[in-house]
Amino acid sequence: MVINLILRIQSGIPGLDQITADSKTGMGGIPENTATLVYGPPKVGKSIFCYQFMHGGLSLDEPCLYVLTDYGIKQLQQNTSDFGWELDNYIEKEMLYIVDAISSISGTKIINTENFSSSSVHNPTDIMVKLGVGTRYISQRSPRFRSILDSLTTLFAFNQELLIVRVLTAYIMRIREAGGTALITYTEGSADVKVETMLKAVVDNVIKLDGEYLTIEAMVGCGQKKAPYKITNEGIIIE
Amino acid sequence: MKKTHIPKLDDLLGGGVPAGSSIMFCANPGVDCEAFGYQMLNGLVKEGERGFIFTNVAEPDSIIYEFDSYGWDIVSAIENENVFFVDGSSSFIGAPSNAKYSFTDYSETEDVVLKAINDIPDGIAVINNLSTIIDYMGDLETVEIVKKWNKAAKENNTTIIYIFTEWDYEDSMVKKLKSSVDCVVELKTIEERVIVGQGFMVAGASWTEPLDTMILFFVIQPGGVKVYIPKILVTGPYNAGKSSFVKAISTKSVSVDRKAVGAFPTTIAMDIGHLDYKGFFADIFGTPGQERFDLILDVLSKEAVGAFIIIDSTAPQTFARAKEMIRKTRAEAIPKIIVANKQDLEGALSPDEIRDKMKLSKDIPIVPAVITEGKGTQECLDALLKLLYGD
Repeated sequence: MVINLILRIQSGIPGLDQITADSKTGMGGIPENTATLVYGPPKVGKSIFCYQFMHGGLSLDEPCLYVLTDYGIKQLQQNTSDFGWELDNYIEKEMLYIVDAISSISGTKIINTENFSSSSVHNPTDIMVKLGVGTRYISQRSPRFRSILDSLTTLFAFNQELLIVRVLTAYIMRIREAGGTALITYTEGSADVKVETMLKAVVDNVIKLDGEYLTIEAMVGCGQKKAPYKITNEGIIIE
Repeated sequence: MKKTHIPKLDDLLGGGVPAGSSIMFCANPGVDCEAFGYQMLNGLVKEGERGFIFTNVAEPDSIIYEFDSYGWDIVSAIENENVFFVDGSSSFIGAPSNAKYSFTDYSETEDVVLKAINDIPDGIAVINNLSTIIDYMGDLETVEIVKKWNKAAKENNTTIIYIFTEWDYEDSMVKKLKSSVDCVVELKTIEERVIVGQGFMVAGASWTEPLDTMILFFVIQPGGVKVYIPKILVTGPYNAGKSSFVKAISTKSVSVDRKAVGAFPTTIAMDIGHLDYKGFFADIFGTPGQERFDLILDVLSKEAVGAFIIIDSTAPQTFARAKEMIRKTRAEAIPKIIVANKQDLEGALSPDEIRDKMKLSKDIPIVPAVITEGKGTQECLDALLKLLYGD
């Protein structure tokens, strides 16, 4: 008998690992070394999902590569601090590598450090260069890591849509080969319907958030699932 | 001839790039390719040439900042009107532009660049980035635009440099693009799970028969594109044949073991060699095999881009040690070849048996060899170059 055991990593979201649990093994969570698209309308908790996924990993000593296109590093630190998750410590411990592709657009010149690179949402070539450095940095620390791209929406706003699908393909390939598990967010309706279909085709798992329900539209080794959720001061909780 | 101002590249190109020709730096996503165009422009402007940068990926201010980070002064060239920008970026992020040319609609790209080319006869044009144009204008249209620019450049004796990030485009389109320029320089990554090195290679040039060699480089600020002699590691258990292997593949080699008393005052036991094979240069570092020297494995293996793991095919009891050395030299994370030495001896296991016993993935080549007779060493080098160069 061939057993196709899909390794899963804890999502960091209370309740999500239970509803994704495999009926045979009882294991739940996000399938390791895959790419997951989290999408939905604005203000439903997509970025919060990212913070929890990142923090869940960091607390298990899984480093994280974070590509910021919607908000800069300052905002990320502020937003996560609101939930009581302080990033400074992890940055210092070299558990986080951040590519900030938005702060430079507002004219802020930030000095690059060993685990922080500034890039530009308008220059995908440069983002990929920084990502290459970042994956090397992170994978030297741990063979298992997480990678977050929040979000595609801004990339679509600044670039031709097809180009971003190509960039996403290259991004996912790079993270997968390095052994990482990728999470990508996208605001529904910000690109053409055809492009949305292409996005769903290049990822492995698709999760939709609509403000009331979290729907797993597709996930390796798991059927479709739907559950209500709420956003609390501890982040998203599946009810 | 115009110098490229990229170290080693002029040698590969027979001295440089003829004025009025077109050169494309074609990069795998993840390779620092912009520096190539900027460095070439900077070098030529310093020699008194005029030029412009067409950008659709960064605003002129960011590019000036980048030049400054490399330690290159472009500001005075802009003030002297020797360099100007064609700004296809600012308006798309809602920023004002004070460039000589700027536009708000992609359809203007072709004409604006043509105008700019005509402004700088005998000068240098940098187009960054061609891939952004493709998705806006369409595949075939972009090929046509490139041909028109090249024609205008030739008439004006303007040298035109394209930066092209090769995302997953249709092969046929990429071929057409590459064949529409005079010279293609491929910028590649050396990967084993992650990028461990970057190299450039001339794929073709209309004026010369280029050497089929990859030159490894990194990009630093300040400084720009710097080439380096890569380090190749030779490791494996005690008495597997590492020193003989280093000697066999090197043009010159020194065993620090033997020199320990003379040239080197301490007892750092290692072999050093220099490889010059089919134009590929590398320093070879042979590690000691005995466990008491394991302390220096970490130091020796730093920044290596490839490794040969030498094993004694007749001694399966040492295979666990070989795997341990792969781990200790961090060779899991770089391209590597297993050299199955001593194939001439009785009881030597075949590569398949070795793969099975060592539980090695099938992606790792295992090359049978008899190092003392020079058998298999060339195959080992070819196998490593194949891994490093990619397809």
